[in-house]
Amino acid sequence: MPLRPGRVGRVGVIGAPVAKAAVVAAAVTPGPSPVAKTAVVAAAVTPGRGLRRRI
Amino acid sequence: MTNTSLDELGPVDYLVVEFPAGASNFTGEMANELIALVDSGTIRVIDVVILTKNDDGTVDAAELGDIAELGELQAMEAQLAELLAADDIEHLAAAMEPGSTAGVLIWENLWAAPFASAARRSGGQLIANGRIPIQAIIASIEADEALVTEGV
Repeated sequence: MPLRPGRVGRVGVIGAPVAKAAVVAAAVTPGPSPVAKTAVVAAAVTPGRGLRRRI
Repeated sequence: MTNTSLDELGPVDYLVVEFPAGASNFTGEMANELIALVDSGTIRVIDVVILTKNDDGTVDAAELGDIAELGELQAMEAQLAELLAADDIEHLAAAMEPGSTAGVLIWENLWAAPFASAARRSGGQLIANGRIPIQAIIASIEADEALVTEGV
């Protein structure tokens, strides 16, 4: 289908071709690995966990 | 698009959700969740485009209004601004696999607008932002645990 005329000939806002974000695809892929790690990640962002900062 | 002064504009994000060939299962759930985000004032949808990448790499773009039965998305469609230009659509489609369909969503984070505006009024300037992938958090935790296990 053709684009609406308003989209043609304008300066874009996405500067360059976008690369596929493989890491995002992996995060939403159903399966045991991401699910099993959900609790671990939740613990990591829980207040008071006290992650060591390696600076 | 409603008139929003630049000082009150929240951060604008985009995402491209790809549905590999034969993998889509549209039940209306995505639309319902999107509408809920809009209705709660969390986001304002600025633009939506549906892309199909053919096996030969060519891309077809459809507007939300081109979809026959929009349902509750009809009201949202009327509020869209055509922010994406033709070049943008080409750039975004570069991430797609041939044979796939993708939804492109551009939205304003209304929830962040007051804080961002306050930061600007306070003299602050945004110098970095981004998203931390879950995988990076997992890797950090595992590295941390490895250090503990090794007694370092």
